[in-house]
Amino acid sequence: MKKMIAFGLIIVSLVSASHLTAAEKETLQIQGSTTVGPVGEAFAQYFKRAYSGLEVTVQKTGSSDGAAALIDSRCDIAMMSRFMKPDKEFKLAVEKGVMPVAHVVAMDGVCVVVHPSNPVKELTSEQVREIYMGKITNWKELGGTDSAIVAISRDTSSGTYETFHELIMEKQEMAAGVEYVSSNPQAHARVSTTTGAIGYVGIGFLDSKVKALKIDGIMPTKETITNGTYPVARPLFLFTNGYPKLGSMKHRFCTFYLTEAGQEIIEASGFVPLTNY
Amino acid sequence: MKTKFRTIFDRLFTGVSAFSAVLLTAILLIVLGPMIIKGSTAVFFRGTVEFRKLQRDEFNRGNNTELEKEIEPAEKTRRFVYEIIDSFKRGVDPQSLTDQVRQLNRQYGQELRSKGITGDDYRDLREAARQIRDKLEETFNSADKDLINENIGFVLELKKDERFKGTAVEEMFTIADDFGRAIEEIDLQKREKYAQSLAEVEDILFGSEQMPGLLGPKPGDKLPQTIRLRYGATRWDVAKKLLNDLLYPVQWVEIENGKPLVPQRHSRAEEFEGTRLEPLFAYIENELPEMLKPKLTFYWQYFVDKSIDSHYFGGVGPEILGTILLTITAMIFVIPLGVISAAFLVECSANNLIIKIIRMCINTLAGVPSIVFGLFGLAFFVLYFLPAFGAGPKGSILAASLTLAVLTLPLMIRASEEAIRSVPQTYKEASLALGAGSFKTFVKVTLPAALPGILTGIILSLSRVAGETAPVLFTGAVAMGTLPRSILDPTMTLSYGSYNIATGDNIGMQVPHKQFGMIVTLVLLILLLNAAAILLRSRISKKLKGMR
Amino acid sequence: MSNGRLDNIIEPAADKNESLVLTPLQDLKGYLFYHVGRLILFLITCTSVLAVLLIFIFVIREALPFVKGASIVQFLTGTIWHPQSEPGEFGALSLVVGSLYVTVVALVIAVPVGVVSAVFLSDIVSFRIRNIVKPVIELLAAIPSVAYGFFAIKVLSPWLMSTFGFPTGVNALNAGLVLSVMALPTIISVSEDSLSAIGRELREASYGLGATRYETLFKVIIPAAHSGIIAAVILGMMRAIGETMVVWMASGNATQIPSPWWDLSQSVGTITATIAGDMAETPKGSTHFHSLFMLGVLLLVFTFCLNMTSEFFLARAKKKIGKMA
Repeated sequence: MKKMIAFGLIIVSLVSASHLTAAEKETLQIQGSTTVGPVGEAFAQYFKRAYSGLEVTVQKTGSSDGAAALIDSRCDIAMMSRFMKPDKEFKLAVEKGVMPVAHVVAMDGVCVVVHPSNPVKELTSEQVREIYMGKITNWKELGGTDSAIVAISRDTSSGTYETFHELIMEKQEMAAGVEYVSSNPQAHARVSTTTGAIGYVGIGFLDSKVKALKIDGIMPTKETITNGTYPVARPLFLFTNGYPKLGSMKHRFCTFYLTEAGQEIIEASGFVPLTNY
Repeated sequence: MKTKFRTIFDRLFTGVSAFSAVLLTAILLIVLGPMIIKGSTAVFFRGTVEFRKLQRDEFNRGNNTELEKEIEPAEKTRRFVYEIIDSFKRGVDPQSLTDQVRQLNRQYGQELRSKGITGDDYRDLREAARQIRDKLEETFNSADKDLINENIGFVLELKKDERFKGTAVEEMFTIADDFGRAIEEIDLQKREKYAQSLAEVEDILFGSEQMPGLLGPKPGDKLPQTIRLRYGATRWDVAKKLLNDLLYPVQWVEIENGKPLVPQRHSRAEEFEGTRLEPLFAYIENELPEMLKPKLTFYWQYFVDKSIDSHYFGGVGPEILGTILLTITAMIFVIPLGVISAAFLVECSANNLIIKIIRMCINTLAGVPSIVFGLFGLAFFVLYFLPAFGAGPKGSILAASLTLAVLTLPLMIRASEEAIRSVPQTYKEASLALGAGSFKTFVKVTLPAALPGILTGIILSLSRVAGETAPVLFTGAVAMGTLPRSILDPTMTLSYGSYNIATGDNIGMQVPHKQFGMIVTLVLLILLLNAAAILLRSRISKKLKGMR
Repeated sequence: MSNGRLDNIIEPAADKNESLVLTPLQDLKGYLFYHVGRLILFLITCTSVLAVLLIFIFVIREALPFVKGASIVQFLTGTIWHPQSEPGEFGALSLVVGSLYVTVVALVIAVPVGVVSAVFLSDIVSFRIRNIVKPVIELLAAIPSVAYGFFAIKVLSPWLMSTFGFPTGVNALNAGLVLSVMALPTIISVSEDSLSAIGRELREASYGLGATRYETLFKVIIPAAHSGIIAAVILGMMRAIGETMVVWMASGNATQIPSPWWDLSQSVGTITATIAGDMAETPKGSTHFHSLFMLGVLLLVFTFCLNMTSEFFLARAKKKIGKMA
């Protein structure tokens, strides 16, 4: 017993001692949205390989937490899938002397998907709204099979939900029977395993297991999102405290999306790069 | 009641209760079984030559010369695939041909400028080149065979012009020539369908912008930035699935009006019937083992490697280290606190109000949901407590372990209390009778005797601490970071990692075996820690029994 | 007398070169050591009190703005939970009902299985088999909740959909089933403890009167241990109510009361999952944020009351056993 305790203490003290003697490396702390998370991670991975003295940590705790961390100066870069709320977060930031600067790194499209066995190929945004408001409850009303519609939505505090809520629901309330999932992969899993389901996911989650529907005649693709014809798209942000100093690591990170390598990585992460590199 | 009924009931009852024990074991197997089976494929699988290439590039593992010897025949077999697709493409993909001639036209302009040709000559030459380019673009995009032949003929006439010899325009002529010959065999009406299908075939073979393919990028193509796109299929099971998608794509067709669509597979080779591409599919089907060289691999380094490209490749080494560090640090805090509190409650307690309040608080602590602990840990330890010691308001192993210690404190106290209480009174009385003070009695007699029970408490707490996600979410876990240098750094953990993959990105969809692998590693780690502690407990019990 | 083992533990007073009468200084030192030592131990024990107080203070502090800003009556009785709409609707009744649903399903399955298993372990089976079954139970308790959540969405959900034809596999039934497995170890171990604590006399008396094992257990032992078993059930209930990860993944999180009320195949939302799911993305300082803490307060109050009840029953069990001894 005593040996165990002594052993443990030795380990802890060794580890702490190493912290004191290790050289100070440059660190970059990135925190925020779980949607932008994969982009942040992929960028971080690239940067760790390219710059050997750099330490990057990425935490995916949610857009709101990212904003709060930036305001408290707990992180260098906040990833957010929505803009800062003007009356709550922005105001608080300015009060604390933090000037948030937004960098749009990529676009995310919110695609309405159904199970591949569903014969329905396109819907109008009006119809989608009525489905989620509970007014349409059976697929046969839309030209599909006679089966109940299982509506799946992201939870109410997600940025994806907000985009959907604003642009398709036009701020109307969803019905009580709508299922809530907490993430894109879960939404994808629900729709791909439930034949009567309809849901919405980010564009990076379209694959052969779900079928994307045309909304108002437009199919969500890279092109239609970049040229603005697909209605349900939203920008993804990186927020920093003021514009980062040119040449600093933070600046390089925040402008990485402008390089060809950055845009390639963004596309590989499942989002839409801002230009046609 | 008749005796017969009573015996029947009795037997029935014995049977039912035995059944419940069987049920418990069955539940355990049902819960753990699928996960372990699927998770073990992260460590045991048939790895292809692409996997070995990855190991060599990223981890400097494996014999390079041997690998080169393997790669050479694989490349040779693949060459046929590249050639056949290239030659087919020239007739079918108008977009890439258009891009090519545009690029050549621009190149020609640069060449002229660098040669110093200016003025009227420049304008004439550029005009001619532009004309060629436009005619070719029209040709590529048209479906009218006559028009095409006419244009090709016109362009090739211009080939005789001396001025274009040795310049970029000559390449345009080659393209026109190839195109003219290629389209002879192709039904131009089907060209769009060919192009679409060909794009799918290329995506499956070489990888798209988002998903890796069977063979990886063509040699000579620019290497993609994202690591997962740089290699072909690293696992044979993934390769077989991709092969199936390549040869027999699924289409959802309507059988009956008003009924759900039904998936149907048709042969892609039939789609390309009569064209140059048709033999490709049979070739790939037969030669894929030669192209990928699958071999049974035992990837035990999974437990040691760091993850490459957000867990697409690589292993869970840092996460395991993080979980172990976190658990040990939390235990260091909770064991003394728990045992001392239990000692106090047993030895020094009177049944007064204060003790009742303490007990109430301990029990309430046991009932607080883990997410509330997480928030408490963030608000108190990260933002208030540790900064008071100058540690900076960021997540760290220390903050997370403190939170976890508070989480398991009730469990530890309860188990220790049980253990200390169960030590026979005679031990204590004997020790006191020999003249030892109560403190000495406790430390030298009661505590060692209660050690097995305390170890049970430690085991239970270990499992709880290692598996909790919500408390570490805000306080100490990062999705990606370096190995922690000290306890003031945040770390990656298995529990957070599993939660992350499940809810974070599309990696989980593409590599499900990695998801299961992480969870299974966590369960195995907990079981290992449990087993170690159980062994220790039985050794101590034996020693104690010997003392009696 | 030098017994090798005992030598270094306790020194017989006769070996010391000190007089047996204490000097005033030694007396004072001993007194101080004793009482200061107790005080220190007391303070250390109070860390748990401190922790609980801090948690309560923190949660209540963040929930207060909600009490001031929005209507408590609507919170407790309304069924519509739309915190992000303007104005936000914070009716938590559907969440409470959702939590209750999954807990009740969990208990309906776990209590019979648990009690019967506890009986099996304490009375029926031999020591050797007991030593095999006990690790199985400990293993079930050791599996982390994330693993259970995985199991729920990847294995149980498709199975439920294919076997019963439910439109959705993540529903009250799914969450309830997994929660029952998680509550089982608690129920079994506490019940087994209380069953074992009943002395042999009662059993022997019953067998002596000619009762079969079944009759002994069901008519004598279990009623005698009923307080302990109720306490076990309540502890299991607390585990089920407070579980976050599993319900988040497995229950579907629809903020509705299933209609018809007995339809378990519908998705429900629980308190813990709502707190966990909404917390990350809610702007700090908004009414939504404070409402989540209000939910936390609700949860704490509820578990506190359950605790009190369980304590009461355990105390009764101890008294009864004391009386029987």
